[in-house]
Amino acid sequence: MLQIPWGKATALLGEGRRLRWIDLLLIVGVVGVILGVIDLGREWSGELRPIDIDLDNPWILPQFTFFSLTRGLIAYCLSLAFTLVYGYWTAKDARAERVLVPLLDILQSIPVLSFLPGLVLVFVALFPTTNTGLELAAILMIFTGQAWNMTFSFYHSLRSVPQDLREVGQIYRLNVWQRLRWLELPFATMGLVWNSMMSMAGGWFFLMINEAFRLGERDFRLPGVGSYMSVAVERGRVDAMLWAIFAMVLMIVGLDQLLWRPVVVWAQIFRVEEGGLQTAASSWFLDWLRGSRLLRLAKRWLRRLRGLKKLRVGILHPVSAKPVERHRFQWGQSVSLAAFILLLAALVFGAWQLFHLLEHVTLAEWLDTAGAASITLSRVLLSTALGTLWALPTGLAIGLSPRLSNLLQPVVQVLASFPAPMLFPLIITFMNFSGIPLGWGSILLMLLGTQWYILFNVVAGAMAVPADLKEAANSYRLSRWQRFRKLYVPAVFPFLVTGWVTAAGGAWNASIVSEFVTFHGEVQTAWGLGSQISLALTEAPPNFPLLAASTLVMCVVVVVFNRTVWRYCYHLAEKRFSLNK
Amino acid sequence: MSIAAPPATALCEMRGISHEFVQPNGKPLRVLEEINLAILPEEIVALLGPSGCGKSTVLRILAGLIAPTSGEVLYHDETLHGLNPGIAIVFQSFALFPWMTVTENVRMALRAAGKPLTPNPSPLRGEGSFSQEVVRRAAHAIRLVGLSGFEDAYPRELSGGMKQRVGMARALSVDPEILLLDEPFSQVDALTAESLRAEVIDIWSSGERNPSSILMVSHDIKEVAFMADRIVILSANPGRLQIIVANPLPRPRDYRSPDFLRLVDQLHDLITGHALPDVAAPAPTMGPAPLEALPEAFPSQIVGLLEYLDARGGKEDIFRIAADTHCEFGRMLQTAEAAELLDFVDTPKRLVVLEPEGSRFIKALPGERTDIWRERILRLGIFQMIRDMLQRQPDHALDRDFVLETLVMHLPMENYEKLFRIITGWARFGNLFDYDERRQMLSLVEN
Repeated sequence: MLQIPWGKATALLGEGRRLRWIDLLLIVGVVGVILGVIDLGREWSGELRPIDIDLDNPWILPQFTFFSLTRGLIAYCLSLAFTLVYGYWTAKDARAERVLVPLLDILQSIPVLSFLPGLVLVFVALFPTTNTGLELAAILMIFTGQAWNMTFSFYHSLRSVPQDLREVGQIYRLNVWQRLRWLELPFATMGLVWNSMMSMAGGWFFLMINEAFRLGERDFRLPGVGSYMSVAVERGRVDAMLWAIFAMVLMIVGLDQLLWRPVVVWAQIFRVEEGGLQTAASSWFLDWLRGSRLLRLAKRWLRRLRGLKKLRVGILHPVSAKPVERHRFQWGQSVSLAAFILLLAALVFGAWQLFHLLEHVTLAEWLDTAGAASITLSRVLLSTALGTLWALPTGLAIGLSPRLSNLLQPVVQVLASFPAPMLFPLIITFMNFSGIPLGWGSILLMLLGTQWYILFNVVAGAMAVPADLKEAANSYRLSRWQRFRKLYVPAVFPFLVTGWVTAAGGAWNASIVSEFVTFHGEVQTAWGLGSQISLALTEAPPNFPLLAASTLVMCVVVVVFNRTVWRYCYHLAEKRFSLNK
Repeated sequence: MSIAAPPATALCEMRGISHEFVQPNGKPLRVLEEINLAILPEEIVALLGPSGCGKSTVLRILAGLIAPTSGEVLYHDETLHGLNPGIAIVFQSFALFPWMTVTENVRMALRAAGKPLTPNPSPLRGEGSFSQEVVRRAAHAIRLVGLSGFEDAYPRELSGGMKQRVGMARALSVDPEILLLDEPFSQVDALTAESLRAEVIDIWSSGERNPSSILMVSHDIKEVAFMADRIVILSANPGRLQIIVANPLPRPRDYRSPDFLRLVDQLHDLITGHALPDVAAPAPTMGPAPLEALPEAFPSQIVGLLEYLDARGGKEDIFRIAADTHCEFGRMLQTAEAAELLDFVDTPKRLVVLEPEGSRFIKALPGERTDIWRERILRLGIFQMIRDMLQRQPDHALDRDFVLETLVMHLPMENYEKLFRIITGWARFGNLFDYDERRQMLSLVEN
C-alpha cells in the first residue's frame, strides 16, 4: 500500500511507555516459535528411518501438532505462491489461458492420494539420508489438497475487475506492478481469504495418510498428529485416538482464532460493495495485537527502514518513465511464451508416459474400472443427496435465525475444517457392531467429510434471503411447508449448487479412504474406484498402471460430471433463482 | 478526406471517427459515424445526446482507451497511438479504489505518473523529492476540491458528492490539459450536483494553466447550457454529430436570464427537430408494410405518457413532461416516438398531442386496451412478419435464435437482441405472442 503519513505513528507515542502484559505474552509467543523452528530444523535434518510413536505418552502431542501445523502452513504458503503465479499467468495470457484453465480443472479432479507415490519416491530419492525429502513430499501432498480452488478464485477475481476501475488503471498509467499491487491484488483479496480458509481445511483431510503411509512394503512415517492418530487406529487404542482428536480440534480452533479471524477482519477494507458494515467481523486477538506497544514500535522501525531504502534507491536510479515500461512488457511476453512452450512440452511428455503406463492395463481391468467408477459415482451422489436431506432444513433453520447463526456459524466452520477420516474409526466400530456392510457404510463415511460444505453454503444462502420476500411470505400466511418449497429452497438454490459441487468433489476424494479402511490392523474394502486406487497403492510392488488407469477414469468422470450436470445446475441457478437482478 | 482545416491551435482533434462494436453473432453494430470535433484551448465543450448515442464512446476514443474502427485522433497535431497523454477522466461511477483512503486514491495517480512532476526538477534531488512532490500535490488537489478534513476517510464512508470530489481531485492532481467529465453529476443528488458544477467552473476559470479545456458528456440540457462554451448535439443509432451550438453567454450564468432560457429553448428545438421530425407519415398502403425498428420504450411508459396527456388537457411540451416525470429526455423522446408510431399521439414541434386513437385507448377498459394495443401493433410491419412466420409453423412457435436471424436479415443496422426484447415486451402487452424464456420459444397466443 501507499505509505501512511508519519503523523499517525508519532501520535501513538503519547500513550505511556510501559509494556503491557500482552507484550509479555507476545514475547513468550515469539520465543516459542523460535524454539519450535529449531526443533523443526532438527526433525528435517534427522536421519530417515521409521520412527516409533509412543501412544502411552500423549505429551508428545503438542510437539507433533506443531509439526503438522507447520507442514500445513508451509503448504499454504506454497499454494499462495502457486495461486499468484498461475492465476496471474492464466488471466493475462490469452494463449496460455486456453490450456491452463482446463489443466487446472483436471488437476482439481485428480484425487490427492494419486499424487502420493510419485512425490514420495522422487523426494526420498533426492534426499536419501535425511527426513527432508519425506517432509517435502508430505507438504506437497497437503498442497495438492489446498491450491486449486484458491487459484480458481484468484483467476476469477482478476478477470472480473470492474470496467471503470480498470480504466482508471489505464488512464493513470499504472505499470504492471502498480496495477497488481494497488488494483488487482486488493480486488482479489476477499475471495482469496475465504478460499484460503477453505483450502486450509481441505488440506487437513488426508493428514493421517500424508504423515503415515505404506508404499508397497516400505513404511514412511513422520512425527505429526496425523501419524499419531493412524498408529492409534492401527492398534485400536481409543484413548490415544481421543487425545489426537482433541489436539486436532485445538489446532483448528487456534488457527481459526489466531490466524483466520484477524485476517478476515483485516480484509474488510478490501470489500468492494458499497453500504455500511452489515456484519462487522471482529477478532479479540487482533484487538489484543493492536494494543501491543511492542508491535507498534516494530512497525515504526520497519517504516523508517523502508523510507531509508527508498531514498537510496531513488538516488541511484533517477526515475525515467515510459520507455522502460514497453521494454519490460515485451520481456514479460517472451517469458510467458517460453513458459508456455515448456508447459506444453511437459504435458506432451506426461501424456506419453501415461500412455506407456496404460499399455499394461488389460481390457478386463478397464472394464472393471468402469464398473467400479459407476458404483462409486452412485455412492458419491447418494452421499450428496443424504447430506442435502439433513443439511438443507438444518441450514435454513440456522441461517434464518440471527441468534442461531451467530452462535453456530463459527462452530460449523470449525467442524468443517476437522479432517473427517480421523472420525472414521468411531463410525467403523459402530458399523461393525450393527452389521452394516462397508458398501453402504462408505456412503456414510463420505458424508461425514462433505456434509459441512452443503450445510454452510445453505446457512449463507438463508442469511441472504431478502427481508421483503420473508415479509411477503408472512403477510400472505404461507404455511411452513409452502414457505420452504416456494421461497426458501429457490432462494438458497444457487448456494446449494455451490455446496453440491464442493461436496461431490470432496466425496470423490474421500472415496479412496472410505471404500478401503484399516481398523485394528484389519483391512476392509468395498468394491469401487476409490478402493481400487487404494489397493493399487498398497500392493507390493505398487501397481502403477492400474493406479494411473483408475485415476484417469476418476478424472474423466469428475470433469464430465462438472461440465454437464453441475454446469447445468449453475446455469439454472443463475438464470432462474438468482436474487440479484 | 475533405475536411476544412481547423484552427492550428486545437489541443486535440478527432477526424472522421467511426466506431463499431461486434455483436455476439459476429455482426458489427455501428455506434459512431464520421465524428469530426476539435477541442480548442480554454474552452468547455459539452457532448449532448440521448443515452445510447455513443457519447461515452467518443470520450473514451479521445482518451485513447478505445481505438476507433476508422479515423484518427490528433493531440497537438500529432496522431495519437495509445493513451492520450494530456487528459484525465472523471467517471460517472466515481471509480475510486475502495481499499484506499481519499489521500491514497489521489497519490496513487501521482505516483503512477512516475515522471518528475514539476517542469524543471532540481537535478540533485532524487526520489525523495518525488515523494515530497506527490504529498504536496495530492494535498493541494484535495484542498482545491474542498475535501480538507476527509483525507483519511475511505470512499465507502463518503456521500456521492464527496466521492465525486475525490474523483475530481484525482484527475486534477495529474495536471491534465483536457479534463474529461463522463456524466459526472448524474449519480449525485440534484443539490450537490449544483454546487459541483459551480466548483468545476471556478477551478477551470481560476487562472491556473491546467486544465485548459474541459470536455463533458451529459444528457442534461440545462447543465450543458450552464457550463459549456460549445454544445455538440449528437443523434443516436448510430451516433452522428448533428450540430454544434455556440454558447456566448457571459459567466457567471443565470438559469433564469432570458438569454439562458432562449438558449435552452433553442436546444430543445434542435433536439426534437431531429428526433421527432414533422414529416407527414406515409399513407397506409396495402400489402406488406415496411419494417421499422422499434423505439426503446416499455408499454407501461407509453401508457403512462398517454395518461399524463389525458390528465393535462391532451397536450404538453415534451421537455416539460420529461422534467415533470424525472425522465431523461432521450428516454422521453423514445417513448413519444413509440406512441407516435402507434398513432396514439402526434408530435408537432416540441408538443406531444393526444390523438383520438390515444383517447380511445385511455378510456377503454383493461381488456379492451389489450385488444386496441394488439390491433395497433399489428399495423407495424415487424409484428405482421413475425405473426405470419409463427402461423406457418405447425405448433405456432419458433425458436428465439430463428427469430433473431430474421431480424438481423431485415434490419442489419439494429441491435437485434434489444429489438427482440422490445418486440416480446410489446407483444406480451397486447397478448399477441408469448415467450417462454426457459425454452427460448416465441409462440402465438391463440385468441
